[in-house]
Amino acid sequence: MKWMPTCKETTELASRAMDEHLPFASRLSMHLHLAICKNCAIFARQLQEMRRLFRVETTANDDAPGLSPEARQRIANELQNKLDT
Amino acid sequence: MNTLDAPRWLADHGDYLFRVARRQLHTDELAEDAVQETLLAALSAQARYAGDASPRSWLTGILKHKIVDLIRRQVREIEIPRDADGEEAVDRLFQQDGHWVEPLRPWGNPQREAELSQLRRVLDDCADRLKPVMAQVFSLREVAGMETEAICKELNITPTNCWVLLHRARLFMRQCLELNGFAKVGAA
Repeated sequence: MKWMPTCKETTELASRAMDEHLPFASRLSMHLHLAICKNCAIFARQLQEMRRLFRVETTANDDAPGLSPEARQRIANELQNKLDT
Repeated sequence: MNTLDAPRWLADHGDYLFRVARRQLHTDELAEDAVQETLLAALSAQARYAGDASPRSWLTGILKHKIVDLIRRQVREIEIPRDADGEEAVDRLFQQDGHWVEPLRPWGNPQREAELSQLRRVLDDCADRLKPVMAQVFSLREVAGMETEAICKELNITPTNCWVLLHRARLFMRQCLELNGFAKVGAA
């Protein structure tokens, strides 16, 4: 890699940095690019943001649909079967 | 807790478990399977429930394992299509010289629960639109929080493939979210 990665290469590095510790040279070139490129800096921040939003598990206020009545009944029957045996 | 509690788990926590599973598995059918397997497993294991966690978090812990099991089974069944990696779609996001084609806009910083829950819905819709194998890998990493190494091993794919799938899933998710209301209007 050249001393300064392109935007495309920087997104790959930023993505990889979400999963593992980058080698020093890669980390350095990524940060060099992020320091001068607004688009990639936004991209890197949005990767963090996506993770934060996804990992929120409390869906207490969630108005997403719950179990359908049919599925609920089916599961209730399975539980009862197991209790009976 | 005694055995009489079992039917109550379904009544009290069924919808919650379903929503958590639905976010990670992307189909109603699989999410229903996950809830059923979780409750059945809980029934078998209730002697081990020490009562120091709330029933909901105990059940959620079991559910996480069931979700990983189901995804593992799914990924084995899916024939990875040739274009699953979406290389051309990625190329359309960047110019020949590697610069972004379109400028990116920052996202807002929603705090209100109503806004957050709306955004989560967009998030789930976008995840549902990813190609199945991408959605699964993405979910294991970003929703379930598994380490990449463990995901590769579980799904029996090479680390390079795993990482390429993850990166592309993130690129497409980001784009989808921006097109569906994540971008701050008139961003500063």
